[in-house]
Amino acid sequence: MPMARREACILAAAVASLLVCSCADRPEYPVTQSAVRMSSLNAAGGKAPPVAADVTSGRIARARSEPQNWLTYYGAYDGQRYSTLDQIDTTNVSHLRPAWAFQAGVIGLVAAPATYAFEAAPIVVDGVMYVSGWDGYVWALDAVTGEMLWEYRHSVPLDVPLCCGNVNRGVAVADGKVFFATPNAHLVALDAVTREPVWIKVFADIRAGESATAAPLVVKNLIIVGSSGAEYGVRGHLDAFDLRTGERVWRTYMVPKPGEPGFESWPQDTDAWATGGGTTWITGTYDPELDLLYWGTGNPGPDFNGAVRPGDNLYASGVVALDPDDGTIQWHYQWTPHDVWDYDGINENILFEMDGRKLLAHFDKNGYFFLLDRTDGELVRATEFARTTWGDIDATTGEVTNRREPAPEGTDVCPGPAGAKEWPHAAYSPQTGLLYTPVIELCATFTSSETEFAEGMPFWGSATQPLTGDSWGGIKAFDPATGEEVWSMRTEHPIVASTLATAGGLVFTGTPTGEFLALDARTGEQLWSFRTGNGIHSNPVTYSVDGTQYVAVPSGWGGWAAGFAPELYGAPRGTALFVFTLPSRETNNANR
Amino acid sequence: MTSARTRWPVLTLVLVLVVAGLSSCEYGRLLRPSVLSQLNPRVVQMVNYLPAVDHPNEAILARLFVHGGLSHATLGNDGVFRDEIFVPKNELIWEPAVIVMEKGGELELTFSNGDQTFHRALMPTHGGRKLLDLPMHEAGVVRIRLDQPGLYWFGCPVANHAGRGMLGLVVVEGEVPADARLDRPAMPRPGSE
Repeated sequence: MPMARREACILAAAVASLLVCSCADRPEYPVTQSAVRMSSLNAAGGKAPPVAADVTSGRIARARSEPQNWLTYYGAYDGQRYSTLDQIDTTNVSHLRPAWAFQAGVIGLVAAPATYAFEAAPIVVDGVMYVSGWDGYVWALDAVTGEMLWEYRHSVPLDVPLCCGNVNRGVAVADGKVFFATPNAHLVALDAVTREPVWIKVFADIRAGESATAAPLVVKNLIIVGSSGAEYGVRGHLDAFDLRTGERVWRTYMVPKPGEPGFESWPQDTDAWATGGGTTWITGTYDPELDLLYWGTGNPGPDFNGAVRPGDNLYASGVVALDPDDGTIQWHYQWTPHDVWDYDGINENILFEMDGRKLLAHFDKNGYFFLLDRTDGELVRATEFARTTWGDIDATTGEVTNRREPAPEGTDVCPGPAGAKEWPHAAYSPQTGLLYTPVIELCATFTSSETEFAEGMPFWGSATQPLTGDSWGGIKAFDPATGEEVWSMRTEHPIVASTLATAGGLVFTGTPTGEFLALDARTGEQLWSFRTGNGIHSNPVTYSVDGTQYVAVPSGWGGWAAGFAPELYGAPRGTALFVFTLPSRETNNANR
Repeated sequence: MTSARTRWPVLTLVLVLVVAGLSSCEYGRLLRPSVLSQLNPRVVQMVNYLPAVDHPNEAILARLFVHGGLSHATLGNDGVFRDEIFVPKNELIWEPAVIVMEKGGELELTFSNGDQTFHRALMPTHGGRKLLDLPMHEAGVVRIRLDQPGLYWFGCPVANHAGRGMLGLVVVEGEVPADARLDRPAMPRPGSE
């Protein structure tokens, strides 16, 4: 009997091991060495000027009055990603040239080694840039010279559960601190001068499959941060902490539990709500006048098997408007009720006014461009902005008709799971009155099957496979007054970089093959490009110091490339930040 | 196979004696059912293969990763975990290569270099990595902080010593703080029935 023989072998080995069960004596060596920080072994001085001390929520609310700075994730609370800086304009942008580059590289082993990426939006305050990377890195850089002022790296475990890539989308700055979320869901408040941690708060459970990628948002005296992990059957939430002390002020779950409003949209007799997803992995926007916070919610869980969660599955794949003081949900709108395509709803909600009406514009992964009244969430209009075959949404009533669903044998649907637009953000230019969105034209096969839930393990309810060979991308400009497309610029590969609109009449964006582009905001004509040498999947920003305008863009391919550009899954990974400006002669001319 | 039937009582007696005699020894703990159930053919094959890669330039160029054993760090009265790591001569490994902390916190490691070449230890900690020089036949101390459960790698950044075997792991056990956890019923974890 093989089993008996194995047991006997093991016993014999154990008895024999008695003979060798002794420990060799080790020589004692004198302790002569103590450790040093790697961060003390670089050219950085270790200190940044105290520019962050005066940044407050009130100042962020007036961010557009200090266009030299990029004070918050979207540049301003309204999420417009628009700057009034106009030194670089349509007439001189062709002369734009690199001012400096920052290269981080990777030392040692890294979680998600094939998919770490540089996705951040740099923050700039009075000549100092704060930017975050993969694996818990944050850097303070001189925004004029690119010189590194300090580096911080949080210890992040190799086995941290990540949906997709080891990425981070940026920091928040206020009250003399730099706030950021680590992949293992620590909210860290660093002293902006010395980079020493002031407080550290764990805000999600990595054992449950939670993680973090979003840039936190400062609102009043709070620092608000979203969670990731809806691919692991978590229960998404948004957390707010006192920005001075790190004490928790509130947590709001995006999936209601029994007895709470919205629970009627979940099965009443199962624990489906407890694995219902709805994470908050992209930074929200804020209207200080209405005192409402607008935050997108991720896919319900499991992603593709809707059979175990019949109902609309609130508040997943939608937007919630929250009272920032206590986190209570004031209204909600669901972009994709009962989402079975991983369409999420986390894309930005851009706040702007039209004909005296307070509006919210949202390009969803599901391929529809929504316009809402942001006071109450009433739909103004929903129009298609890319190929959609999963279903239809009535333009005026918003009624959703699902046309297909994932099947065990596979269902082909457009858009794919990365959406017609991934998280990289659209921009709104008050100068042109147009919205500019990156577009992914890529369909996919979705399969569905039962997945047994186990905490901390992928909970997809089967799988999705992008359909290669018929994909492209581009930037499209839309008129929010009509919902009509005004122009489109088609690219070979999907565009997964945010757009940046400026008063110079320009729209900046980047391509997955590394070209950083400047387009004419009125026509979409390409006016300038620079090859950064690595795919761009980040947030370009603009700022100025001493009268010189700069444009900055992180360049570092990775993330969930398999989902949005599978043809570029094997492209090189980079870790650089490029900053551009005009030659000084032209800067002087433009200032005159 | 009738002989198996007569062999079992003898084997059981030996088992009891061995377990009793070795209850305080790691070798004895090898006989726990949970360990024996791990000894599937692939694990046995790996263990049998180890002597072939027990010295550099035998079957492969150097050593298998994380070869050098495991140790549970001791928690001191001051709340700091401590352990010692030795670098033996001509092995290119850390002994032990896996350090276990039963919960997050501070870990103080004393490294001794018994090798005839210079090494360094590049260690994970909050705020950035720490670097410890290890001249020949000298020792050094590094204190690091790891707050959350997970695997944290360390290695020797000299030449390709890490790739040749000088990679190690600090394993942090434990749970995240209660207020970070999800408000939901207790959920099954992988392996639970």
